Amino acid sequence: MSFLSLENLTVAYGKNVVLEDFNLSINKGEFVSLLGPSGCGKTTTLRSIAGFVKAQKGKIMFKNQDFTEVPVHKKHFGFVFQNYALFPHLNVFDNVAFGLKMQKTVEAEIKKRVEEIIELVGLSGFLKRYPAELSGGQQQRVALARALVIEPDLLLLDEPLSNLDAKLRVEMRVEIRNIQQKLGLTTVYVTHDQEECFSISDRVVVMKDGEIEQLDSPEKIYRKPETEFVADFVGFENFFDLFQEGDHFKTSKDQLFKVSSADLDDNLDKFRASIRPDDIEITLAGGEQKENTIIGEIKISTFLGEKYQYNVETEYGEFVVNAATEKRVENNKKVNLYFPEDKIILVREE
Amino acid sequence: MKGKWSYLLIFPALLFIIFFLVVPILLTMVSTVQVDNGWALSGYANFFKDYYLRDIYFRTLKIAGITTLLAAFLGFPTSYYISRSAKKYRGIFLVLAVFPLLTSPVVRSFSWMIILGKNGIINDILMALSLVDEPLNLLYTEFSVITGLLYLFLPLMILSLVGVMENIDGELIRAAESLGASKFKAFMKIVFPLSLPGLIIGTALVFTGSFTAYTTPMLLGGDKTRVLSTLIYENALALFNWDQASLIAAVMIITTFTIVILINYFSDKLNPGGVK
Amino acid sequence: MNEKGKTLSIFTLLVYFFLIAPLVIIALTAFGESEFLKFPPESFSIRWFVNAFQTEMFISTFIISLKVAVISTFLALLMGIPASYIISRGNFKHKRLIESFFLSPVLIPQIVFGFSLFNFLIIKLKLPVFSSLLIGHTIFIIPYIIRVISANLENFDYEIEEAAVIFGASPLKTFFIIVLPNISSGVIASFILAFINSFNNVPISVFLTGPGISTLPIQMMSYVEYYFDPTVAALSVLLMLMTTVLMFIIERSLGLNYFVEN
Repeated sequence: MSFLSLENLTVAYGKNVVLEDFNLSINKGEFVSLLGPSGCGKTTTLRSIAGFVKAQKGKIMFKNQDFTEVPVHKKHFGFVFQNYALFPHLNVFDNVAFGLKMQKTVEAEIKKRVEEIIELVGLSGFLKRYPAELSGGQQQRVALARALVIEPDLLLLDEPLSNLDAKLRVEMRVEIRNIQQKLGLTTVYVTHDQEECFSISDRVVVMKDGEIEQLDSPEKIYRKPETEFVADFVGFENFFDLFQEGDHFKTSKDQLFKVSSADLDDNLDKFRASIRPDDIEITLAGGEQKENTIIGEIKISTFLGEKYQYNVETEYGEFVVNAATEKRVENNKKVNLYFPEDKIILVREE
Repeated sequence: MKGKWSYLLIFPALLFIIFFLVVPILLTMVSTVQVDNGWALSGYANFFKDYYLRDIYFRTLKIAGITTLLAAFLGFPTSYYISRSAKKYRGIFLVLAVFPLLTSPVVRSFSWMIILGKNGIINDILMALSLVDEPLNLLYTEFSVITGLLYLFLPLMILSLVGVMENIDGELIRAAESLGASKFKAFMKIVFPLSLPGLIIGTALVFTGSFTAYTTPMLLGGDKTRVLSTLIYENALALFNWDQASLIAAVMIITTFTIVILINYFSDKLNPGGVK
Repeated sequence: MNEKGKTLSIFTLLVYFFLIAPLVIIALTAFGESEFLKFPPESFSIRWFVNAFQTEMFISTFIISLKVAVISTFLALLMGIPASYIISRGNFKHKRLIESFFLSPVLIPQIVFGFSLFNFLIIKLKLPVFSSLLIGHTIFIIPYIIRVISANLENFDYEIEEAAVIFGASPLKTFFIIVLPNISSGVIASFILAFINSFNNVPISVFLTGPGISTLPIQMMSYVEYYFDPTVAALSVLLMLMTTVLMFIIERSLGLNYFVEN
């Protein structure tokens, strides 16, 4: 039984249709991230769940109740805004206590809960300060505390870390994940940062143009992206075509390739293959033609510190290869690119 | 371009204002405390002992107060509406609100003479609907003066508020809603407090404006409903009682200054978050 | 941005009706046939406009109002532009104090100012009426000039002037060929703003009139006391037309957002 489900949701701004027949199901206690480039619809999805945006068609079911028409202030969801949206005229205490006041909680209990949550986010001693007097990271924590203290049924976060510097971002994402696990809060998190997303989510929804490209655990998405878009998003480059022949594959120029991860029951015969730059083995050309090998010529080599990056021109296009710095190969040299069969992935064509 | 040249450039304006503003006003004020051979505040004491003067003084305060309250009541929601409108409409709304400000007060008061007069629209409608037997005396009353002043100063209140309200991030309202506040509650707890700076400025402008206005009370109040400003004129140019006129003028200035200072004082009290 | 409810929309509509209707009523009355100020007017006629143009005192006071407005605005610009420049560029002690001083005429009730000037200029100094009128208007216009021009100057980077000077222009030349052209929109806008306020002014003008010297608004007021006919409505329409044209010019040069940043 799903905790939150979006069913056949269609959301449009005027003529611009952002989501069409969108379906998503989230389980209790899960940390689910919506990941994708700007314009993919992830924020719209989040705001539809919150109720800030009304869907033209479809339903939003929460705990088996139809939540589609429930007004925002009755949903009891916590929302953390990208720019925090702290009330400038209220101090930290009053900002955090706001939701409790709306629930008509008793003063003594408000005080207790606010102080507890402030301590949880590490801001004890800041209760009397005003938002203008806080740093970005501190404001973000107040925004988080404000959403957590009401003990929401669902926690929604809209790119909450994008305005912080890199180091703080890493610290804060760990804190958010810890708190979430501690409280067992079902959470939907929107971000465009792949590393941030993978490090804290139970499942990831990769979105593009209002559609779900892949919905899986971070590991699965990283190791086995299903589409070219997702593969590209998680760092795969070097796409080329492979044609199935029995239990092995041939390139468009008839070279033999073996791919161990291939699901040979698929009834397609053309696949997009891809491999990470780090996984290609590069050696000087010469010797016999082996399987899983392509010949090429180095066009550009770039020193990346840890490794060298080569742009290699082949008859299938340009390939990017990373190699250890000890074995520097010069430009215009002919090389063999060897693709280990367990490192190649096959994705659906776009 | 600093140094001595700079001072030269300000001098004309400086001297002009000192000689033609500061001096005349000071003269007026000083004359009110000069008694025979010395100084005394007896003039002011006499002012407030005189029933006639005192009545008009408090009436003027009352009229200004009511006008300000009405302007706030009508202006607040209107400004909110304008500030939440799409950008392309906001300009039009503002033009429509500002335009009356640039027409002559004579024109604006005159329109109400047409509307409230014995042969005016309101009376015509009331008579046509047989709600009254003969035309009501709506003109030359406190009611007509307040209406005219409200008409004069409402745009000013709207202008003061819209600027401040436009700067209130829409996300704040959504944040309040996500925390359980209904639209109305969000307005009262978030929008209203954050609009206070604009409200305070608007109140100061509308109150002092209404308190010191001349044209509107003159045309819509006439002889039956006098206010301080019309009294000054009457004393100066009809009765040639310049001492009396100076006294009334001085009382007016002192009252205005006091009110502005009071408003400033309270505005600091109400703004702990430093929301300017 | 759907935070406006139905009630709010209706309320706002009513307020706007309140704001606009009276002006529309004047306009319609001006075109009425009847002698009495009647609304709705019975038939269409422009006789009141004709009457307005033919009435000697309206024409002469219109000219005087025009003269006073133009001359005082000009004087105010002459004094105000340099003053604004010093205020926005200068770095001397008490700068804010001086700026407040220049903006202070706004704080004085106009009726009190008018009376004081009457007392000082006409009674004590026995100055001619027209000059007194000019002085009075110039004083209360100066704050408008200073506020607009100062704001304009703040938006105009001082570094540009420094560049001019380094490439050989004297400070005076810089002012005329660099600064002035760039604040021209501010000058135009403040000119029009000041002009309108001077033209429409009553409380100051009412004390500074004399034989043969009066302004149009004052004349309209006395007319209304004796003749309650639509001529004043016709004049009002003409004045509103003039205001509209001038406002249009301001919009072109400054944009209306200026008014909001009062």
